[in-house]
Amino acid sequence: MSADDGFRHQERLRSAAATARDVLTRSGGCRFEVFTKASVTREVEVAPGEPPRELEVEEMGVAVRTTRGRCAGFAAASGLEADAARRAIDGAIAVERELPFDPLPPSRLLAAAETHSSWRLPPRGWAHHTGEQLAKAVAAISGGRLRLRRCLFQEGTFSWLLQTGEGFVATYDGAACSLLTEVQPAEGRGGVWREWHHVADPGGLDSAVVGRRIADRALLVQGRIATGSGLVSLILAPEVAARLLTALSPLFVVWSDRRDPLAKLLDSSGRLAAAALTLLDDRLDPQAPITGPCDGEGLPAARTLLVERGIPRHRLASYRDALALGEPPRGGALRLSYRDYPSTGIANLRVSTEHGSPPAELLRAAGTTLYLLRPLAPVLVDFAEASYRIVASGVWLDDGRVRGWHPVVELRGSLARLLGRIEAVGTDLAWFQADRGVVGAPSLLIASQPVVGQ
Amino acid sequence: MTGPSAAEPPFDPGWLDTLTDACRSLTAATPRLHDLYLERRLELKVSTLAGSAHAEESRTDGAAARWRYPSRTAFHARTGTSPPALEDLLSRHARRTALPRARPPALVEIERPPEWRDWAQATLGRARRGHCTVRYLARRAVVVGPERWTAVSCPPLVRVELDGESPSALLAVWRHPELESWLSELAAPPPARRWRPEPGLKVPVLLRSGTAGVLVHELIGHLTESDLVLSGDSPLAGLAGAAVTAVAIDIADDPCRDDLPGAFSCDDEGVPAAPLPLVRAGRLVGWLCDRAGAHGLDAPAGRGRRASWARPPVARLSNLIVAPGTADPEDLQRGLREGLLVTRIGGATVDPLSGRIVLRVERGWELRQGRRRRPLEPFELTGGARDVLAHVEPTVGRDESPDWRLGWCVKDGVPLPTGSAAPTLLVHNLEVL
Repeated sequence: MSADDGFRHQERLRSAAATARDVLTRSGGCRFEVFTKASVTREVEVAPGEPPRELEVEEMGVAVRTTRGRCAGFAAASGLEADAARRAIDGAIAVERELPFDPLPPSRLLAAAETHSSWRLPPRGWAHHTGEQLAKAVAAISGGRLRLRRCLFQEGTFSWLLQTGEGFVATYDGAACSLLTEVQPAEGRGGVWREWHHVADPGGLDSAVVGRRIADRALLVQGRIATGSGLVSLILAPEVAARLLTALSPLFVVWSDRRDPLAKLLDSSGRLAAAALTLLDDRLDPQAPITGPCDGEGLPAARTLLVERGIPRHRLASYRDALALGEPPRGGALRLSYRDYPSTGIANLRVSTEHGSPPAELLRAAGTTLYLLRPLAPVLVDFAEASYRIVASGVWLDDGRVRGWHPVVELRGSLARLLGRIEAVGTDLAWFQADRGVVGAPSLLIASQPVVGQ
Repeated sequence: MTGPSAAEPPFDPGWLDTLTDACRSLTAATPRLHDLYLERRLELKVSTLAGSAHAEESRTDGAAARWRYPSRTAFHARTGTSPPALEDLLSRHARRTALPRARPPALVEIERPPEWRDWAQATLGRARRGHCTVRYLARRAVVVGPERWTAVSCPPLVRVELDGESPSALLAVWRHPELESWLSELAAPPPARRWRPEPGLKVPVLLRSGTAGVLVHELIGHLTESDLVLSGDSPLAGLAGAAVTAVAIDIADDPCRDDLPGAFSCDDEGVPAAPLPLVRAGRLVGWLCDRAGAHGLDAPAGRGRRASWARPPVARLSNLIVAPGTADPEDLQRGLREGLLVTRIGGATVDPLSGRIVLRVERGWELRQGRRRRPLEPFELTGGARDVLAHVEPTVGRDESPDWRLGWCVKDGVPLPTGSAAPTLLVHNLEVL
């Protein structure tokens, strides 16, 4: 993002917030918070043989939270003009309802952490060029067996401003880039291999490296079919591991005691998973997709330790949910857009790879291994039954050498036992989109996994 | 009941006439303006929080222009529908924009329904278990083309989501006469002592209470969408005119059914709504096309739908209707020695490339000798698309009923409201997953 863009947006955001603040201050008798945001998203779809398609969306708006006596309201309106601020205020006042507590955090909790947003949007034409390079790389690396069906580049810049009636102000200018690729066999009607990549630095994107990663994995599933059974090592590739963590993510936010599923999953020593697993919600990592100086309501951005060497430590909560459920507020609120109320959620849930091993080492050490590469359905976790189900495709390996492809593997069983057998984590951490927030996962090695079937 | 028949534009008609005149010159230039889309939305939300109700309101408006260059297409959208906002939007691709300088008359807000607050509160009260969210969604839009502008009107919708041990949801047209009874069904706790059929089991499945509409939504609705057909990804591609299911089956996509959530007066490319037969007497006779798909398949357009002003239109279904037959659904049930009766489906997907469908059954019964034996636990049914279609029993129930459970349909990550109505259908070769 260029500094000029950020400056241009920030001026307009300040002006919209100032209008809202003036109206709310004049109306008197209420605490309030104003959030303004502007974003520009550019999507370029490159499909060999097709004309490129470009999409550009500029979105901006104002959101207002008010508390008046025992009543609280929230409303959002699009635009940054004075009219937008007034519509948001009118809406918030119109929907105010009684709450047993004030959901706006007190000033003493608000602060901005130091963060860095380092890169600019790539120039126009970069996506076309990179897409063409990627198509050539996939074809060359696969020896003509694969072709790039399409790739979709998503680049965006955004700026936001958070201001409270008591004078706290936080601002941020950021940027994000991702790449979706679809690869399929060059001949015949074959399955499409789809991958999503978070691009932390577009300037450093090497299309040959990305092409090799895509082609290597897509080629693995073109081989002969193999089966196996018994107690084997199981390796979840980052995408499959990320789906598992996404399914587990409700464990890391606050629940009312009555519904809390975590207790059922802990062993007698309070352990959720093997010591190899440490999980964080990291809002300070400049390489992670969601960054900023504070959470969605002004509490300083933090690195929250969720699971330390297998033992649950802290849980995320917005200020409102922390009050309602008796948890200390730790800055766990997330705003997905200006239209959304700041609610509890993971931002960057990631596995600590501090003590991880390179994936090649995991593969070599694992003996007979089922290596799950591609999820075929969301990983299902039944907290009431403490069970899980993973449906994925993968390959069988003997001491690191590929024996064949297993097109559909369905694994079910005890969630506690699965998590308890995590023996090692890889260093190949990659980010994936979750329902809310993102998940960063490396390969996970699970020991002694029973596999039954043909 | 509110319906899409009265297509009220969200802006003053006189100003829209002037805007159409101003845009006309851009449709003859390079790049060529394909269309201009303007939209306003209101979303109201109430949810339970610590024994109280938490309420939100969101008002958005925005516009999108589609452009054709000799070697590429471009879609550009931005917040706002004021003359300066539109001028800014058009100036991104056009050298000269001559929009009317006169401001349109004051914007008419989409009104909150007067009874919304009390109704939402009462609905939260009915959902005794778990966390409940109630939403009201209203949208008005207009498509400005080279010849004229067209108002797009849709019925306002209500969506209720229940979290907890048995999560469930409802999507319906606001003020639908059946809404209260559907809410009662939604809030009813699942029966005790439920039974889960063994994975791999293949038995006849009787789809009642409109659940056959969900099956047809996936098998016929999505697989006749022109983008999937043109790319060759749909297993139905190339089968125009072929017999794909039982001869007694007629299926149409009908956006004029304003009692169902997928209704609209015009699609989001300005094509007036009209029912479209897809299957007639078991033969595939139609495709669901946006304008680009219509060009490629030489078929009528009218299903170009936008998830919001910020997304381009894509070919999507509206309300899928299976015509009722003449059989008494009780007779269909009595005739089954062994089988499964499905009364509520909680989710469904189809993978066009593998052609496999997955239905997540939420409620139902095991059938023995035509009688209900044990209630079912949630489980999944699967099958190959063409195989499932080929094994639909030709005897069709006479009891058309809408499915209120699903409808919030997501394709490529983009959600849209859709509807379905279907009679009881018997399918022979679905497999328990």
